[in-house]
Amino acid sequence: MLVVKEVSKQYGDFTALRDIQLEFETGLYGLLAPNGAGKTTLIKMLATLLYPTKGEVLYNGNNIIDMDSSYRELLGYLPQQFGYYKNYSPKQYLLYLSALKGISKKEALPKIIELLDKVALGDVVNKKMKKFSGGMVQRVGIAQALLNDPKILILDEPTAGLDPKERARFRNLLTDLARSRLVIVSTHIVSDIESIANEIIMIKNQQILYKDSVETICGTLDGAVFETSMEFEQLESFRQDHVLLSEKQEYGKMIVRFIHKETPLVDWLPVQPQLEDVFLYEYRDETNGTVQ
Amino acid sequence: MRMILNEMKKILTWRMLTFLLLVNTVLYFLLISFDIEYFPNGRPALDGYRLGIEMIEEYGVKMDEEDMLDFSRQYKSLKKEADEYLQARPEFAAAGLENYEKLITSDWNNEEQQKLSNQIFHEEQVDLFWELQERSRLMEFHDMKEMIGFEANALQQKRFDELLAEGKYQAYSEVVIQNFKDFIVHVGITVLFSVVLLISPFILKDRTRRLLDLQYTAKVGRNLYKTKLIAGILSAGMVITVLLAFYFSLYAQNGTSPYFGLGVNAFIANLTWYDPTFLQYIWLCILAIYVIGIIFTMLAMTVSSVVPNFVTLIGIQIPLLFVMLLVGFKILLSHIISVQSPQWLVPCLYGLLSIVSAGLLIYLIRREKLRDILE
Repeated sequence: MLVVKEVSKQYGDFTALRDIQLEFETGLYGLLAPNGAGKTTLIKMLATLLYPTKGEVLYNGNNIIDMDSSYRELLGYLPQQFGYYKNYSPKQYLLYLSALKGISKKEALPKIIELLDKVALGDVVNKKMKKFSGGMVQRVGIAQALLNDPKILILDEPTAGLDPKERARFRNLLTDLARSRLVIVSTHIVSDIESIANEIIMIKNQQILYKDSVETICGTLDGAVFETSMEFEQLESFRQDHVLLSEKQEYGKMIVRFIHKETPLVDWLPVQPQLEDVFLYEYRDETNGTVQ
Repeated sequence: MRMILNEMKKILTWRMLTFLLLVNTVLYFLLISFDIEYFPNGRPALDGYRLGIEMIEEYGVKMDEEDMLDFSRQYKSLKKEADEYLQARPEFAAAGLENYEKLITSDWNNEEQQKLSNQIFHEEQVDLFWELQERSRLMEFHDMKEMIGFEANALQQKRFDELLAEGKYQAYSEVVIQNFKDFIVHVGITVLFSVVLLISPFILKDRTRRLLDLQYTAKVGRNLYKTKLIAGILSAGMVITVLLAFYFSLYAQNGTSPYFGLGVNAFIANLTWYDPTFLQYIWLCILAIYVIGIIFTMLAMTVSSVVPNFVTLIGIQIPLLFVMLLVGFKILLSHIISVQSPQWLVPCLYGLLSIVSAGLLIYLIRREKLRDILE
């Protein structure tokens, strides 16, 4: 369906992405990496906002740049940050965008009402957006991405500003949408996609580190994730020797979750690796402990 | 069309229109109101204006030698009337001002004579005496019709001789054409400020508000940039039309329509390369304002497309506007067909400005298609 073929992107001397090779089919893909890893660069290339320095992006075998409007017609895109006219209501704003998407006013009006209901903004359809909270604006953004019933839906940090209830609602919405289209969600929040993504793509050192199911990626740390408890005073030296994934205080002791690839101590409790463990392990600071 | 209208709605907001109303009110009182409220500006301007209408009614839009003889006869007859007027007032005779000739050659050091002269011209404002002065001035101009009146180069002299050979010499008071030239330059300045203020923020705003990501990934894509440019030009055109309609409806109060059929070379001190009628000249100036307005709309959109913020947007355009105020309007509007500029200069400047502004936009349209949208 959508193929990223040996794509590199450079800004002057700086290489943002190098030889990226990806294939997407119908389903939900989570693009997971810390800020600054090149997620937005990749997303923007898929959305035709950036041109690859090398390589090409193909949709059903055709270069998306050459496809021009026939590609964008299939595209729904929510950028990390997007602009809006403060004096417009969501209805006016979505009508404006529907004109850009080539949707007639007659067709757009019922669709706008339906989408605003879907993102729980049905009661503020005609309110000026300048009075909206960040989360409400973000939900308008989600609605606009769905206006043209896109075959390819690309969402860059879509849950920014949403409260936990909205995040849950949004995850359900994404699961529904991904049944009949390609959905790519870029995020650095593991919990947003861990339970719903068919595949996770992780980028490291400008290249693809993983493109696999959550289970397979978590499998890379099988038998290497442990939990143990210790006195607070022991924590500092433990940090020096191990890659810590999390720390919490419980009953006056410190419970730590960490990576260990050698023979474990008997009182260490082996645990099932989670996607967050892989994320924290792969993107750890080089100065932050060592793996044994 | 729907997209063009949507973009125009973004430009012509109530807020912007109110701001333009405010700017126009200020500029109207600073510049234009004088050309309307004080026309004709005192005397003998008023007499020149009245006499011009009388001359057009009696002799038409071109005065030949026979008309001039009649004009001279009328002068003599009016002079006689003035003599009788003075003789009927004993205080003038007593002061030695028993006829018109003596009145206008009165002794500057004779207090009594100056007092009476002042009384007749300024206190009583007797039309007859003012009219005689203006008639006399026009006859003097006619007597010197073969002298160009300034140091002319060969081309200017050639043009002057051509008109003279066609019997087109400067016979009518300059008060109407001078007033129109002042008026049109002031209107030009007001229109230019209005369109620059209207258009300048338009493209920059979408860019700084990060709207391009959504706009350029929609079906219309980067072609929207072209739509924005068209919307900008149409909006500027609309504002120019409304402002011109408004200011010309005020100008109509000046009552210059009797002069419309007069050739512009028939006005004193208004030698031009071409010989349109006054009405055609007005249309030419209106066209010039549209062209200047559209050129500056295109330049404003160019600047708005490349600068990073509003401060730079204003900073770059101030020198452009300053040059226009200093020399641009003089050359491009009030001297549009005047022999005071070389015949090739004005068309070349319009051509050059149009090519540069349109060329920059074409370059930006191409650049917009290919550039990475990073902001």
